[in-house]
Amino acid sequence: MRYMLHRMLPNKFMTQNEQSKGPTLFRQIATRLAIFTLLFAVLDIGIVIFTYGQQPQSLAEELLTLEADKMDGSKFTDLDQFAGPPESTHWFASYVDSNLGNSGSLSAAYPSPNRGTLMDWTRREKLSQGFRISGVRSVVIAGEQRWLYMQFEGRGISPYVPVIINELIQHVALPLIPLSLLMLLFNIFAVRRVLNPLRRAEAEVDRLDPEDMALRITEPREPREVTTLVRAVNRALERLDSSMAILRSFTANAAHELRTPLSIMQLSIDQLPKGEQRDALLTDNQQMTRLVNQMLDLAQADAKAFETGAPVDLVEVGRKAVTQLAPAAFAAGRDLVFEDYGTATTKGHEEAIFRIYRNLIDNALAHAPGNTPIEIEVGPGPRFSVRDYGPGISETDGPKLFERFWRKNRSTGRGAGLGLGIVQRLAEAHGGSIAFENPEGGGAKFIVTFPSDTAA
Amino acid sequence: MMRLLLVEDNPRLATLIRDGLDRQGFAIDWYETIEGAQHAMQIGDYDLVLLDLGLPDGDGLDLVTAMRAQMDQTPILIMTARGGLDDRVAGLDAGADDYLVKPFQIPELAARCRALLRRPGHALEAVLHVGNVSLNPAERTVHVGDIAVDTAPREVDLLEVLLRRSGHVVAKQSIESALYSMDAEITPNAMEASISRLRKRLSAASADVQIKTIHGVGYALYAPSNVTE
Repeated sequence: MRYMLHRMLPNKFMTQNEQSKGPTLFRQIATRLAIFTLLFAVLDIGIVIFTYGQQPQSLAEELLTLEADKMDGSKFTDLDQFAGPPESTHWFASYVDSNLGNSGSLSAAYPSPNRGTLMDWTRREKLSQGFRISGVRSVVIAGEQRWLYMQFEGRGISPYVPVIINELIQHVALPLIPLSLLMLLFNIFAVRRVLNPLRRAEAEVDRLDPEDMALRITEPREPREVTTLVRAVNRALERLDSSMAILRSFTANAAHELRTPLSIMQLSIDQLPKGEQRDALLTDNQQMTRLVNQMLDLAQADAKAFETGAPVDLVEVGRKAVTQLAPAAFAAGRDLVFEDYGTATTKGHEEAIFRIYRNLIDNALAHAPGNTPIEIEVGPGPRFSVRDYGPGISETDGPKLFERFWRKNRSTGRGAGLGLGIVQRLAEAHGGSIAFENPEGGGAKFIVTFPSDTAA
Repeated sequence: MMRLLLVEDNPRLATLIRDGLDRQGFAIDWYETIEGAQHAMQIGDYDLVLLDLGLPDGDGLDLVTAMRAQMDQTPILIMTARGGLDDRVAGLDAGADDYLVKPFQIPELAARCRALLRRPGHALEAVLHVGNVSLNPAERTVHVGDIAVDTAPREVDLLEVLLRRSGHVVAKQSIESALYSMDAEITPNAMEASISRLRKRLSAASADVQIKTIHGVGYALYAPSNVTE
């Protein structure tokens, strides 16, 4: 049975790139752009219709030109194929130039205009019901330039529909469609470009680590909106950092301040006459001292207020820890066994690693019964373990082991439940980790692993 | 008598330390401030300075730095509430000779003072005593109670090292360098064998001290009072 523990941090629960449900900025801009284009088109149409409504003369001119354009470039000289504008009546068209001979039949029904009319002109007359439009246009039919006279009568707006549609296509659709497409393309490009600094900032925010409060987000030079947002986030981080620092320094200061009264108590109790009460008071005082020490250690480990760059020989530090703790272990009728399995060096903080050893050995002394030995094994490689022959770690206790102030049995035991938390934080501050297992033969074994000093 | 200068701003604690060390045979002058301490050192000579760090008129470390800058080599023992990861190293780096974190007990403080005064309690005694075992360094004789125990010279050397550091673990390397520096190569097995013979000899003479092997580290000799069982 072996558990590996990672401290649960809120940011580790979240996926790195959380997909938001809201529309992207690109979509928002594209949608607004489309709506704007539509509105603009409608407005444009309105303006076109209104303008021509005010100018029936130019509408009439356009209509005749349009009809002439239908015939322009045609291969056929026969004008009967053309019916004139929709819903128009009395449509009449004839050539008015020198080749008149071919259309003699028509000239009988309608008066032929004289040759003096050979220029573009348009006339609009009001009739009792509706209007009559007549005029001359120059066209090319069957490869020959001809002058064409056209005339028709109509009512209302229907005859003008082709002109209006033509106008709309020419003045509204043709310029707006490419413009909208261009703007959409530009939008894709521009929005992507503008959002890049935001994405980079997002990635940096994701990398923020409560362990390293010194991290800040790089301010992009542009756009200014992102720069100010990043600055605001950095300012918020600054405030968070300082309030956390206040909290940490409070713990550390409180621990410091408690040491002097504890010293006074310690020395005062020493002066009491020997007896059960004095021993009990001494024990109480020692427990309080231990708690104060651990609170300070934990505050320091939390703040990561130490350098971890020096080369440390885990064997040497382990020997030192065992040397210091052996008399206490012996006084409790216990043996410390130190095994060195080869080179075990890492980069770290010697005193911090010493406290990892001390807390683990203390913990083992507290939890294993009778006169069972505590085995400390170092190496090979940057790792060491502390093993006791106690009851081991039950599956239900495993996850709670590193919680602060958690104790297996609150009514007994001298610890405050901080030791393993300190060990974990100190190991993590080194980029290392702590695991535990129930080895064969009983007891519990805590294994601390550090990163290799050559890897860094 | 050794004269100690105590610099501590808490009167109650200072009184307790002064009285405690007084009973251990030290003479103490007590000052509450750095200024007071500096003044006292100008007037008189001290064998040792016991220094608190958080003082009303500054940081005790500044006094350490100032003394060392003036080539004042008086041993300094810092006794402080600062027990952080880097505090001890900072204190020793500043030039202090030892660093003791509060709270402490008077016997421990006294032991450290003696060590600094190069007068470790046992070292200057004519005869080393632990429990009912005694060793006369000059005569190279070992007694358990009143009975002389015939002991091989190498075992006497070994016992002397352990007696001088009784209650503490003595690393194998320290024993090697202390005992066999003149000799040819010595194997760990030879040392273990010597320890084993010394143990048997002492226990046969019903000595009440215990020589413990701290596997992988070294050996320690414990007085009977250390054993709770």
